Amino acid sequence: MEGRLANSWRLTVNDKNFIKTALLSEIRIDGRKPFEYRKISIKFGREDGSSEVQLGQTRVMGMVTAQLVQPYRDRPKEGILSIFTEFSPMADPSFEPGRPGELAVELGRIIDRGLRESRAVDTESLCILASKFVWAIRIDLHILDNGGNLVDAANIAALAALLTFRRPECSLGGEDGQEVIVHPPEIREPLPLTVHHLPIAISFGFFSNESILVIDPTHNEEAVMGGRMTTTVNANGDICAIQKSGGEGVPQRVIMQCLQLATSKAASITKQIKDAVEVVNTERALRKVKRHPTSTGVDVREKQN
Amino acid sequence: MEVDREDGRSQNQLRPLACSRNILHRAHGSASWSQGDTKVLAAVYGPKAGTKKNENPEKACIEVIWKPKTGQIGKPEKEYEMILKRTLESVCILTVNPNTTTSIIVQVVNDDGALLPSAINAACMALVDAGIPMKHLAVAICCCVAKSGYVILDPTKLEEQKMKAFAYLVFPNSVHSVLPEGSLRVEGEPIENGIITSVTHVDDYFYCLERGRAASVKLSDFLRRNLQQQSTDSSKAG
Repeated sequence: MEGRLANSWRLTVNDKNFIKTALLSEIRIDGRKPFEYRKISIKFGREDGSSEVQLGQTRVMGMVTAQLVQPYRDRPKEGILSIFTEFSPMADPSFEPGRPGELAVELGRIIDRGLRESRAVDTESLCILASKFVWAIRIDLHILDNGGNLVDAANIAALAALLTFRRPECSLGGEDGQEVIVHPPEIREPLPLTVHHLPIAISFGFFSNESILVIDPTHNEEAVMGGRMTTTVNANGDICAIQKSGGEGVPQRVIMQCLQLATSKAASITKQIKDAVEVVNTERALRKVKRHPTSTGVDVREKQN
Repeated sequence: MEVDREDGRSQNQLRPLACSRNILHRAHGSASWSQGDTKVLAAVYGPKAGTKKNENPEKACIEVIWKPKTGQIGKPEKEYEMILKRTLESVCILTVNPNTTTSIIVQVVNDDGALLPSAINAACMALVDAGIPMKHLAVAICCCVAKSGYVILDPTKLEEQKMKAFAYLVFPNSVHSVLPEGSLRVEGEPIENGIITSVTHVDDYFYCLERGRAASVKLSDFLRRNLQQQSTDSSKAG
């Protein structure tokens, strides 16, 4: 069936040549300079732990949920963090529904490595009762619109969702202190997650002629570029992860240049995320203080026959 | 009978509606629809060449993919897909582009009651944004019947869980016609498209229908204003 539905999008030869030639004069097709990032806008939903990030034309939605489960046998005192990426068919005509493809798995792994291995999210604080009950945090990332550079946008969405997520408070009870009582949000205020630092993923694209380098490629540039590299850095200057899977080889000095660029960009993106989260948190606090119905609604009257 | 609803609405009051079209760049048509806190995003790709194996190649085919907010895709999602598919197939003109498939992807952003009617409304607006030929718009509304017999429109999730039965009603949008009245009615009655219901008693059902039809007029007006406004905006820009 997939073969008959001809829906693959291909860039024409003229378009490809145009992009490459323009890059020789340091011009990108959307008007940016080679080391300029697109505009990031971070919005939040009604629930705790839902975020929507727009990076230029790319749009990603993140959702965080938590569940009490048994921990892994070899890590009885740690919580579980799992990331699910959904390359929704609405993002790109070539995304098929069903099992995640290579790109989806790679994206999930990059974000997972950034969060888990750099110990950004504190999993030990998620343990309620060792070997019996821990919180399993599940991050769902839905890619809604593919405008290029999905990794960076999805990473920001995951971080924004994690920072605004609140898990219910629970206490030990029962006869021998072995039962866990989960308090509903109306009784006890839910708690935020402990996030030590924010690992920001920054992606670069390499082009064949004269080692041209761009930051934050759009999907047109992604179709033309020869190789890509994603570096995950945080605002302190620590390098959490680097991913360069295949593509063409680049000299060492280019890699070092990328890392330096990434560190400077990470600081500004971290600030943007923290500012947005701050606004939401104050709004939530205000909402809890005063409650009044804000919906005005549309009045419907029945027709009198 | 006056009924107290939690957010202060009356029995026949709908939640505030908001709709925006053309929000995604890759999709051929897209729309976001929100009724109060329930928010649904719909995107349309099509028409694409070819139809699936079991479909009739002499007509256009519609494929619906429902994406829940979180979790695996299970039976409820498949049911929603089937209902949406059948409703939209009756609304679109399928004979214009035979042997093609139009895909509609629905993403649930937030579920606070009346999810399926919101999805139907969002899908309709996305189809309009994509320019798929349609006979008319489908306007969907949710009516709930409580144990004591009163009927409320557009329930929130908490209200839905307390109700005895519900009816999702889909009507064609109201007609503003320059032709004399009655020329578009079938046998003296305005036609309806889809009725998905779990109401058991007949009287309740007809009562729901009346309320729903009245509400659909309001919804149609909202849709019409929304579409006209956006089309004049784009003509100014172009």
